Amino acid sequence: MTPDYSSSSSEAKRLNLIDRLARSITLPRFVFALILTFFLTSILFPFYWMVSSSFKTYAEIGSREAVYVPSALRWDAYKELFDPNMRHFWNFGANILNSIKIAIPTAIVAVIMSTLGAYAIARLRFRGKNLLLNGILLVYLFPGVLLIIPLFAMIARIGARLGFGVQDNLPILIVTYLAQTLPVALYMLANYFRTIPAEIEQAGLIDGCSRSGVIWRITLPLSIPALVSVSIYTFMIAWNEFLYALVFLNSSEMFTMPIKISMIFNDPTPRPHVVMAASTVMTIPVVILFLALERFLTEGLTAGGVKE
Amino acid sequence: MLISPTALIVFGLVLFPAIFSIWISFHDVTLRNLNDVFHAPFVGWDNYRHVVNDFAFKYQNLRVWGAAVTSIVYSFVSTAVTVFVGLIAALLLNRPFRGRGMARAIFLFPYIAPIVSVAFVWRWILDPRPSGVLNDLLMRLGTIDAPRAYLATRGLALLLVIIFTAWRYFPFAMLMILARLQGIDKTMYEAASVDGANAWDKFRNITMPELRYVLGAVFLLRLIWTFNKFDDIFLLTGGGFGTNVLPVLTYQFSFRAFNFGKGAANAMILLVILGTFMLVYARTVMRERG
Repeated sequence: MTPDYSSSSSEAKRLNLIDRLARSITLPRFVFALILTFFLTSILFPFYWMVSSSFKTYAEIGSREAVYVPSALRWDAYKELFDPNMRHFWNFGANILNSIKIAIPTAIVAVIMSTLGAYAIARLRFRGKNLLLNGILLVYLFPGVLLIIPLFAMIARIGARLGFGVQDNLPILIVTYLAQTLPVALYMLANYFRTIPAEIEQAGLIDGCSRSGVIWRITLPLSIPALVSVSIYTFMIAWNEFLYALVFLNSSEMFTMPIKISMIFNDPTPRPHVVMAASTVMTIPVVILFLALERFLTEGLTAGGVKE
Repeated sequence: MLISPTALIVFGLVLFPAIFSIWISFHDVTLRNLNDVFHAPFVGWDNYRHVVNDFAFKYQNLRVWGAAVTSIVYSFVSTAVTVFVGLIAALLLNRPFRGRGMARAIFLFPYIAPIVSVAFVWRWILDPRPSGVLNDLLMRLGTIDAPRAYLATRGLALLLVIIFTAWRYFPFAMLMILARLQGIDKTMYEAASVDGANAWDKFRNITMPELRYVLGAVFLLRLIWTFNKFDDIFLLTGGGFGTNVLPVLTYQFSFRAFNFGKGAANAMILLVILGTFMLVYARTVMRERG
């Protein structure tokens, strides 16, 4: 809608443009723009506030008024997180590493196991299939707090017998995350496998492929979008998880990021800028993953009715 | 064979614990006998009695609701608001405009961002110090003279938690509704226009009936998840100031007081309330729709 100045009758065209603009602002359009603006500000402001607060100094954080734009990009908060020479040093690097050590194995194992399981659910008949499907549905219903008590007691019992501790044990946490993510992953993948025509696989079988060859050469390559979205989802669930990590982790060097952030938040001298810096560090990978793979993810969300 | 590892995890870590949790709720399980849990003494309905008579659980009066009533009110109201906001967002994004793809991605941010980050940003915005954004804005506008502690005010805290829940979870409702909206046959709207229907008529007589089923499904799903949700309230208020809900109370019984039996009993009560509601929902709402 840029005015065309090269034209000889540019003045007339400009008037025409203003006229058109004025006429185009009808009441429904105005209301639409207003609501859209409201949505965008209320969604984006907290994120702006998180990032901008992370660049403020301690003085700006504790001043008599809110500081909407930090005076300069100050890295004080990030230094507290990562620089061992600071008086308040949080050793946040170790916590990032813990989160990675938990989220990546969870995603990989969940994708492998759910691919096998979902394939069986979608294509094969076996005994106990209905029981399994109902078990999966139950997970949608069961509150995490209900399962955590028996899980904690069970694992404490097994650990006492086999000689490992329940607390501060990252592999144990991965196993509990599998229990939370597998049902969702199974459900999403089984739904996807059903959309792949069985005839393609039968053609493969007739041509002399084994069942595993069919899965490996035909089904999986066709399912890459679903596999990507499932692995991102399980990764995000493990990355964001709070309750199980809170119960199963005890010492601050074993904490995942969410628990560490909550610990910084509860520090006797409030340090909101450090909390915001740590939150920014934790949020950025998730947002980047999401923006890069948005199309797959939104499809997966509506297909699977994914539990967060 | 393919299914066995997955089946093992689903049965071992979901179905068995679920049944085991019923067992725990009838036994006296504390930190002392946690390592020897199978020999815990049987106590009958004692745990349930203790929960029901607990000050934090029981409805006291109009000001102090107790976790059971708070849970129900919180879940219903916040789910209704979530679905309503999601419907508006879906209707917005269903209209073509420049930058719609970008807007849709941004609308999903609250849902995909880590709960810890967004909860603490909200707490920082609602901070009781004068540097909190809400305090600062209201003081500049002259609405209040001194900073207030919003999340530490009974009533207001619950309202804010509900608003937060709607803010965080409306994108899920929006996506589901949007998917359905885009499946509506366009010719119906054209036919209605020919018949002289205005926008409101079309919305009431075409869009709403088409959305009915998806709205019901989204409401039910979100209600279940909200009822079970622990993180949001725990991180925002810690369950204080009239916002204590059953999942947070279960956590407090089990991992603050280390009374696992009482915690399990509380969780079972939560499940029974949820189950009852779902039964009623299936009997009435679903049947109405055939």
